[in-house]
Amino acid sequence: MDRTQEITNKINQIIEVQAVTKRYAHHLAIDDVSFSVARGTIFGLLGPNGAGKTTLIRMINQITAPDDGTILFDGRPIQKEDVERIGYLPEERGLYKKMKVGEQALYLAQLKGISKQTALERLVYWFRKFEIEGWWDKKVEELSKGMQQKVQFITTIVHQPDFLILDEPFSGFDPINTNIIKTEILRLKEEGTTIILSTHNMESVEEICDDIVLINKAKKVLEGNLHDIKQQFKEHLFEVTIDAGEELLPQLQDNELFTLKESHLSPSGLMLIFQLNEGVSGNTLLNSLIPLGTIVSFKEILPSMNSIFIKQVNATK
Amino acid sequence: MNKIKLIIAREYLTRVKKKSFIVMTIIGPILMAALFVVPVIVAQQTQKVMKVVVVDDNDFFINKFTDTDKTKFVYRSGDVELIKSESFDSGYDAVLHILEGTQSIKTNLFYKEEPSMNFSSLIESQIDKLLFDRVLIDSFQIDPVNYEKMKSLTKSSVSNIKIDASGNEKESNTDLVRVVGIFSGMAIYFFIFLFASQVLRGVLEEKTNRIVEVLISSVKPIQLMMGKIIGIAMVGLTQFLIWVVLTFAIIYGVQLSAPSLFEVTPEVAEQAATLPGETQIPMVDMNSAATVQTSIFTKIDNYFNISFTVLLLCFLFYFLIGYLIYAALFAAVGSAVDNEADSQQFTLPVTIPLILAMVLIVPITEDPNGSIAFWFSMIPLTSPIAMMIRLPSGVPAGQLFASMAIAVAFFILCVWFAAKIYRVGVLMYGKKVTYRELFKWLKY
Repeated sequence: MDRTQEITNKINQIIEVQAVTKRYAHHLAIDDVSFSVARGTIFGLLGPNGAGKTTLIRMINQITAPDDGTILFDGRPIQKEDVERIGYLPEERGLYKKMKVGEQALYLAQLKGISKQTALERLVYWFRKFEIEGWWDKKVEELSKGMQQKVQFITTIVHQPDFLILDEPFSGFDPINTNIIKTEILRLKEEGTTIILSTHNMESVEEICDDIVLINKAKKVLEGNLHDIKQQFKEHLFEVTIDAGEELLPQLQDNELFTLKESHLSPSGLMLIFQLNEGVSGNTLLNSLIPLGTIVSFKEILPSMNSIFIKQVNATK
Repeated sequence: MNKIKLIIAREYLTRVKKKSFIVMTIIGPILMAALFVVPVIVAQQTQKVMKVVVVDDNDFFINKFTDTDKTKFVYRSGDVELIKSESFDSGYDAVLHILEGTQSIKTNLFYKEEPSMNFSSLIESQIDKLLFDRVLIDSFQIDPVNYEKMKSLTKSSVSNIKIDASGNEKESNTDLVRVVGIFSGMAIYFFIFLFASQVLRGVLEEKTNRIVEVLISSVKPIQLMMGKIIGIAMVGLTQFLIWVVLTFAIIYGVQLSAPSLFEVTPEVAEQAATLPGETQIPMVDMNSAATVQTSIFTKIDNYFNISFTVLLLCFLFYFLIGYLIYAALFAAVGSAVDNEADSQQFTLPVTIPLILAMVLIVPITEDPNGSIAFWFSMIPLTSPIAMMIRLPSGVPAGQLFASMAIAVAFFILCVWFAAKIYRVGVLMYGKKVTYRELFKWLKY
């Protein structure tokens, strides 16, 4: 990597976690973990329960400090003042039950350093957008869980942070609200906000994450671009449907090109799953199949994030 | 700094706007005023006119008892049992039967309704006085009238005058001094318990409803903790000031509308003056209590060995520092546990010194410059109460400043300690915390 590219890379990173270690009395919560988050991307922070994700997030939020290593924000060590540029939605989140919704949102927004006037204007906008403006004067305990989650999401983003940390943002939402929040996250990304998304919901990771890091037992086990990782873990599986019947099967015995993994009849024809041998491309497979009948569909099967996750976590057991 | 102001404002406003706060603020003074006014009214009301039938087997006491406003005597002779049944039937309240005897005389007082303490003492003192006069005449040939003259000619009066460090002399009223000392000590005790435990509950609330992680991602844990402690202190001060003002307003109002209630009645004064011995302690206490109540509004400054302003400032100081020390400790406890029930094991050892100070009120008032009083007014966990009890009777300036300095230093230590525990504790869930664990948190 030449010097210019290195500098461009540096500018592109909003957060750099460098060889961070955190110890508690009886265990190592984070062991020498490094990764960086590129500006304007959605970054998936993944890992099973107890892997150390929350500890890591708390260190980025400066709730706790690393024992070793540093965390850079915008290329310099993170400082207390940076909290005003960070929005944090913790996994364990709550609100004052007896306090009025609007009052509470105003208070939390002001704690993030914006003026009361600005906070009020923006909150009114967001309350309208999320269709909860009627709840401004209600007490939090009167709200449904989903509505409380909306209020929490609003208070996380109302100070327009450059950098968002969302820990399980979809928990407690129904599919409709999940979609609203997902759309909002993507819109924030469009506007240039960088987002760390920590979740067990692998579907949403595949949908919206650009890069991921996978942590297990305090250690980093996987890191990189989501697409690259999928490529890296692909098993050269192809799903093909040919407009023909089972009489074709004897011609599809395992050969130097592929192994037939699965076959069954579907309304549109014979559905087949092949695993290609080392060095064989999809086109070669396609060419060898064309003489057999009309190809209805042809696609490569990439591993799901879910299966990669399970595989990696089990591998490090 | 701006953020801590926001926190203080929230803590203050949410509490002051609560219905329970408003109700307590209004009911408090009524209860407090009742504490002052009701005993006086009750004491007056229960002294109904007692009609007493005297049956004297010696014939000595016939027509010798003196009627008073509330006690009327009539005399009968004959069979006691018969007189008793007749008297109670015809509306008399008591039958006094003086049995035959020469030297020590035995008397029985019969009644159907328990008479007041004043009534029994009045009877006893009149009998004593009559017997005393009889001995004067019979054994010493002295006219009781002359005896009274002699007594008044040889009467001395001791005024308690305290000389302070700068040589000023001041007359002191021991009773008033004690009452003020005990009252301010108790006020501090209740304030600490009431409001320091609110800090505990507040911390616990933020922890259990899980808002705390959002908060400490915006502000430093110590800002959050101190904001809460200061906010609640202001709630307490607000409530306390309203209480004091309203309480005095109510007492003053009652006094204006019914001044007779608070006067020292001639009867009481007379009885107190004619005391032959120390047999009438309840009477004296009532008398001095009445004096205390009237004089609080008049010349309060004259009676203390310390200027009223200094006393007030010291009260405010100990009031606040006592609260701050306990609030910091309670905040640490609140952050370390998951629910209020678990907090008991940690609050108990912290509050034992406070309770001890309350128990020691009597020895400290008895001997305000003794070693118990001295040491407990130096130990910061007890000094707010102990020192306030001592102060009205005068404390050397050196001791006062030492006690204050120790309290402030201890408070800073408590905040440091509490902040360490708090930082770790608020994010710790589902773990039964032990003292060993707490000690470890100090090192995180």
